[in-house]
Amino acid sequence: MSVVDSSFVISLLAHAVQAGTPLLLATVGEIYAERSGVLNLGLEGIMIMGALSGFLVLFRTGDLTLAILAAALVGALLSLIHAFLSITLKANQIVSGLAISIFGLGVSGFLGKPLVGQIVTRLPPAPIPLLQDIPVLGLVLFQGDILIYSSIILSVVLWFVLFRTKLGLNIRSVGENPSMADSLGVNVDLTRYVCVLIGGVLGGLGGAYLSIAYTPLWIEGMTAGRGWIAIALTIFAMWNPLRAILGAYLFGGVIALQFRLQAIGIGTETPQLLLMLPYVVTMGVLTIMSFAQLKKRLGVPAALGTPYVRGE
Amino acid sequence: MIGLVSTIPLFLIAGVDPVAAFQQIFSVFTTISGITESVTRSIPLLLTAVGLCLPFKMGFWNIGAEGQLFMGAVAATLMVLIFPESPAIVIIPLMILFAFLGGGIWGVIPAYLKARLQVNEVLTTLMMNFIAILWVDFLVYGPWRDPQGYGFPLTPMFPPAARLPIIPGTSIHSGLLMAIASAILVYFLLSFTRWGYEIKVAGESQIAAKYAGMSPLLLTLLTMFLSGGFSGLAGMALVSGIVLRLRHGISPGYGYTAIIIAWLARLNPIGALVVGLLFGGLLVSGDALQIGLGLAFSTVLVFQGLILLFVVGADVLTQYRIKIKSG
Repeated sequence: MSVVDSSFVISLLAHAVQAGTPLLLATVGEIYAERSGVLNLGLEGIMIMGALSGFLVLFRTGDLTLAILAAALVGALLSLIHAFLSITLKANQIVSGLAISIFGLGVSGFLGKPLVGQIVTRLPPAPIPLLQDIPVLGLVLFQGDILIYSSIILSVVLWFVLFRTKLGLNIRSVGENPSMADSLGVNVDLTRYVCVLIGGVLGGLGGAYLSIAYTPLWIEGMTAGRGWIAIALTIFAMWNPLRAILGAYLFGGVIALQFRLQAIGIGTETPQLLLMLPYVVTMGVLTIMSFAQLKKRLGVPAALGTPYVRGE
Repeated sequence: MIGLVSTIPLFLIAGVDPVAAFQQIFSVFTTISGITESVTRSIPLLLTAVGLCLPFKMGFWNIGAEGQLFMGAVAATLMVLIFPESPAIVIIPLMILFAFLGGGIWGVIPAYLKARLQVNEVLTTLMMNFIAILWVDFLVYGPWRDPQGYGFPLTPMFPPAARLPIIPGTSIHSGLLMAIASAILVYFLLSFTRWGYEIKVAGESQIAAKYAGMSPLLLTLLTMFLSGGFSGLAGMALVSGIVLRLRHGISPGYGYTAIIIAWLARLNPIGALVVGLLFGGLLVSGDALQIGLGLAFSTVLVFQGLILLFVVGADVLTQYRIKIKSG
């Protein structure tokens, strides 16, 4: 009995890390965009286009590196549209982001139609020698693939840049008080462009992880709201990349749990109630965070969502 | 227009002759059957878009119309399942009432969370869409499944009394009248009542609204109850006017399309009727492209996303219009 339990838990945790990786990449990217003051609600569209382009390139060329690059490039391009609309044209960021999400879901469904039912060779696991032999942790964390490791390293690096370097200070000041940053000689628009692009690249990569590693298939709408969950995770993470690791794996755990429960025969008849779990948990987490937020401001960038016009 | 032109490369990529594609689209707008079908398809869009004008005017980003629509459909179907034998004069008003309640309550939850706890409404309304859609799936795969339905995920067909009557002389169901009435009602509310005035003030500045002695909680709750209610009506119009039962996937994203419609109509409910009819035609064109040329239905989403992107961009340009003063 205890053997079954521990293997259940370990497989659950390993699955949680896999399911959490797309969320982690997208969340850390969105943290950068939002820290600079730009809310990017186009993340769902960016992720699904990343998923499509990654899968498409892998299917056509069989080259994983190219697939990953393509997803990053497509994510960057889409986020560039959002950056142009919201930074240069100072358009409504909510509507612009929504438009990009609708557009991305549309284009991916349109271009992906011939890919439905095709299979690719997934991103192979790359166990790390020695570390993979650590009990439990080795199985959960160090038998993953290159994108899992990179996403963790990237989160740490991006945390360091954001909170321990001059560049990070500039980014945060642009998101907190753009006119002050401007007067101190920081290029507000350029900083925001770069941060939104980082968000787009990571969102595209997160999407690609879904279609080339997590489930190496193309399914229309396969992101299933993960872009939106990632935006919720930025709040949960209090706009901190390190906390994002925790949050992403926690949500990965919720996604993993519903599949593991089904695997042992719970909710196989009508899985819909279990499938609601990530969305219900997201709402719960948002509510709890807001309770905390009311007492104390927890890192929300003050200028989030507002375009910067010089002289206002 | 730019939106239309910029889809040409997409048709080329998909290996479809753009001329043939546009012919399919134009035939929808120029034939009687095409127009009738466009109007029918637009009814849920009209109701939803009209309802969305309210919260958007006050700066409450209700992205949850899709879920509110599904919950309205559930509530309407519940009435049919409880009172299968009742005459139309009883069951239709009951379905309308409960659909409005169902959608309205689904809309009030994020409104409460926002007004009380400042919970981001974009995310909560979106999450509730996913939950509502899964809830409908649960019902039609589980407890509400038609025992004679050969295992398909759908409820039994509604009895004739529970179907929306056809407008005499046409083949369009009377949901259209509900949509027109709703638009007039919302227009009246926004233009001629104190409450509509409060919505506009709150949209301009939350702080001003507070100083003017308004209760933001009550205002948000009421606005979202109505908005959700109209989306709920759209769900009722779908199950009772077109699908005639509840089944998996009754809406291909009407709630999201309605956001674009409301925005294009500049949050004017009467304008939403006009724009909504055009979008009904766009959806029918999507069907035509799908059947005639084998394109994915999501082509329509591409159109919609592009149109919205251009409108967002163009909005800004019109704000900074150069003014030439005489004298």
